Amino acid sequence: MKALVFFLLFLTVSFAKLKVVATYPWIGELVKEVGKDRVSLYVIAKGTEDPHFVVPKPSHIAKMRDADLLIVQGASLEVGFLPPLLQQSNNPKIQPGRQGYLDLSEFVELIEKPVNISRAMGDVHPEGNPHYQLDPHNIPPLARAIAERLCQLDSPNCAYYRGNLEDFLRRWNAKLTEWDREFAKLKGIKVIQYHKLYNYLLQRYGMVLVGTLEPLPGIPPTGKHIEGLISQAQGVKFILQDVYHEKRTAQFVAQRLNAKVVILPHEVGAVPEAKDLFSLFDEILKRLSQ
Amino acid sequence: MLLLSIFSFTFAQESLEELKRQLEEQRRQIRELEKKIEALEKQKSEAKEEVKKEQESAPADRSLQLRSKYDERLKALQITPTGQRSFLNLSLIVDTSFVARNKNDQEFKHLEIPGLYHRHEGNGHGHGTLNEKRGFNLNYAELYLYAPVDPYFDLYATIPFSEDGAEVEEAYAVTRGLPFGFQFKVGKFRSSFGRLNAQHPHAWDFANQPLAYKVFLGDDGLKEKGVQLNWLAPTPFYLLFGVEVLQGENEHSFGTEGFRLVDNINTPTTSITIGDTKKPNLYLGFVKTSFDVGNLSFLTGLSFATGYSRINHLEGDNPHAFAGKTKLYGFDLTAKYMIDSYRYISLQGEYLYRDQNGTKYEYDSAGDLETAGLKKKQGGFYTQLVFKFDRRWRAGVQYNLINKNDVKKNGVKEDLPSNLPAYYAMLEYSPTEFSRIRFQVGQNRAFFHDGSRKTVNEFILQFNFAIGAHGAHPF
Repeated sequence: MKALVFFLLFLTVSFAKLKVVATYPWIGELVKEVGKDRVSLYVIAKGTEDPHFVVPKPSHIAKMRDADLLIVQGASLEVGFLPPLLQQSNNPKIQPGRQGYLDLSEFVELIEKPVNISRAMGDVHPEGNPHYQLDPHNIPPLARAIAERLCQLDSPNCAYYRGNLEDFLRRWNAKLTEWDREFAKLKGIKVIQYHKLYNYLLQRYGMVLVGTLEPLPGIPPTGKHIEGLISQAQGVKFILQDVYHEKRTAQFVAQRLNAKVVILPHEVGAVPEAKDLFSLFDEILKRLSQ
Repeated sequence: MLLLSIFSFTFAQESLEELKRQLEEQRRQIRELEKKIEALEKQKSEAKEEVKKEQESAPADRSLQLRSKYDERLKALQITPTGQRSFLNLSLIVDTSFVARNKNDQEFKHLEIPGLYHRHEGNGHGHGTLNEKRGFNLNYAELYLYAPVDPYFDLYATIPFSEDGAEVEEAYAVTRGLPFGFQFKVGKFRSSFGRLNAQHPHAWDFANQPLAYKVFLGDDGLKEKGVQLNWLAPTPFYLLFGVEVLQGENEHSFGTEGFRLVDNINTPTTSITIGDTKKPNLYLGFVKTSFDVGNLSFLTGLSFATGYSRINHLEGDNPHAFAGKTKLYGFDLTAKYMIDSYRYISLQGEYLYRDQNGTKYEYDSAGDLETAGLKKKQGGFYTQLVFKFDRRWRAGVQYNLINKNDVKKNGVKEDLPSNLPAYYAMLEYSPTEFSRIRFQVGQNRAFFHDGSRKTVNEFILQFNFAIGAHGAHPF
């Protein structure tokens, strides 16, 4: 028994790399860009999953137990699965308020912050819309926030992280110019989406949101709502459909409005083409430019 | 911030100091916000410098250093995971049902499971028996409170209200900062024995708890005052060890209070006193592990509990009592296959085994005290399949069986039934995570009355609602 305990303790100290757990794949991509081979990374959710409904598997707890840093999207997006995982992780380092807990929502301006809030309004997040990763201009400050935190936790490798950050930002900013130019061509097009998932992207590039298929956030479409939407909507070009909701409603509405259903990745790994953050936005652009 | 300010007022002496600090903090935050907005409006390159500056403006003098340290501690108080910012997370869960049953309430109340379960006067507080009466039931209105106490402890309390009053079902603190994967729990809590015991009734997949739980742990389950220490092993897969030291007051298998017996119940002349057990009385250990194979997750565990028993049913028509020692073993296995974000198939089962050894006290027809050595070896299981086939719909079946019921009185085996099944099926509709409507039909063939089996058929329409802080989805 003693030997086992020592063996297990040995396991904990034998890997010197900084251990990072990220809740979503896109956060993991930023960690990879900045930390490269000097951090070990574990991502909880899959790109194809509904970010609101991630299953709190016990296997995640094992990975969080030894983490030096937990990076979350925040704004209550993880409220359905993260609190019990955190509580059972038995890891003081990554508890909220500690240095090993990084909430990225603190580094961006959230939109659609409700003035008053009630569950009768559906699944509204009191902090605002949490899907902020879909504005490519939000990425640089978040990459910087991650680099700074890695620096604090692992100062000997700080120069390495900063170097990687600068390299990433250079490549990202180059792409940003391209994206800004190309997305600008989409300005003014009218779209309908299932959930308010793409609002940051729409707002950044001046696309017009006519309505959502959900009558309220988190409430599946109803016949009455869809009829209302169809009767009001005019000149809608795209129905933006995420990968995890049912697609029948979108197809029905598209047919009635003579619009086109576009399956749009919201996250790295949501579709095979979105392999990393760069290809995620490239793919979004490609699918909207058809 | 406003809440913070109000809060600080209550500390009379420090309030001024505090308020100043708060104000300054507010100003600082406003300044930061302004900075942020500015930064956002400016070019990206400039924004970068701004962020840098903020981080570099680290405290130069000692007092500032102290303050930032203080701020950090406050932060730990303020922030609960993923952004819900308040001092207290509060929710109310209401469970109400409509029941149709082929036995009227009086008959149902007097049914027993031979050698395993009979109703006893004085039950019926807290959650008690759910869905007890025909017609409408208010099972409970449960208040659930949770908040970090300080950077070192989280506090949880569960207070179910029934129509007759309230009970503190759980009130415990958990550490949030022990090193090396340890966690310590103190207070009154649902024991981590088995899979289902630690879950609240509203998290169960069926309207009632499984038969094995009912007969070995009672209608309320194993919830006790005490402490728990658990250790999460530093393995790449989930491996949790835990020990609990509990008071051991569970009325079904344990109990701590001694009792007094008389030689003849009608004309008492002498009496014997059976003393209390040592307190605390119940020691418990468990190990749980989990691993994934693709989208299939397994969770399995072994539990063991041992303690002395004092079961006092001396009041009532058929006075009897038991003093002895009880060992309880549990094995649980869950296999859950995730089809996508909203759909899964889950197979779950638990086996419970009880080994009880002691002395039974009862009175014969003349009213004389009779004592007999009693040995019980009993076991049973449930297994259930739940299919969440749509974002809002779940269906499931549960099979219960008590398959071992060996009771020896003075070495002579009693003639008790050992084939005690119950079957349930449910269909559930959840408009959101906060409301649920469940239809359940079931047949229970474990109940007896006067030596003959009484099959109970029932239909339950159950409503469950939750308001307040967002609860998490269970695994």
